[in-house]
Amino acid sequence: MNQEEILQKLKGILQPFVKNQEAFINLTEDTDFINDLQINSANLVDIVLDTEEVFDIEIDNISMEKMVTIKAALEIINIKLSEK
Amino acid sequence: MIGNDIVDLALSIKESNWQRKGFLDKIFTLQEQSQIHSSENQNSMVWSLWSKKEAAYKIYNRESGIRKYNPIKFECLVSENGKVVFENHVYFTRTEITEDYIYSEAVEIIGDFERIKNITRPEKIQKKNGIPSYFDAFDSSIRPLSITHHGRFERIITITSFPNEILILKKLKL
Repeated sequence: MNQEEILQKLKGILQPFVKNQEAFINLTEDTDFINDLQINSANLVDIVLDTEEVFDIEIDNISMEKMVTIKAALEIINIKLSEK
Repeated sequence: MIGNDIVDLALSIKESNWQRKGFLDKIFTLQEQSQIHSSENQNSMVWSLWSKKEAAYKIYNRESGIRKYNPIKFECLVSENGKVVFENHVYFTRTEITEDYIYSEAVEIIGDFERIKNITRPEKIQKKNGIPSYFDAFDSSIRPLSITHHGRFERIITITSFPNEILILKKLKL
């Protein structure tokens, strides 16, 4: 899976929870799930669970703590994929 | 310092399925989960504990400037009604449970509950690292704000310099 494929899959996971569509269209690595995409904080759990399912990885609590931006999410997915 | 969090129960039913496999494990400690499972109204308990954690986190986030998504570490102490503990921090929370919403407020000193004031959206909200405050012309000070909105509901609170009764006396210039 290349980086573009990972990003596209991540966007697919985020999409149903996004409240600010404009920020989603203009998404960058620095895009913040809560402040920019205005995702409800309770839905971050769903995003973590969906990410685990889609990529077949396990996201531990320490990793989950950091999963609040695109950049952090991509880093965590890459690390967990490499550990498989 | 203050923090608050509101959950619109009609919206949470649409947006969140806490019965989903793994959901509770990611957010709640084993003690909290057993409290949820033994509760008569499990849905209400889930969102009550959640809003307490969120309200306490908002205080931590404001004071430390640290942003983390770690609700499981903000532990609601079952035996001590309303207390939320994170590392060496202790927060006190109070929660209003209705059929339509669940609303929690958090403070660090119990007496500060008396200083919480509900306000309507002030004109000039300043945000620093996403943390809101506003300028209070009454005593020319920058006051912290905690803002929460979800679905049909919004609550904005600040903390007054004095307990409310002293503030009223001051306003009346007594």
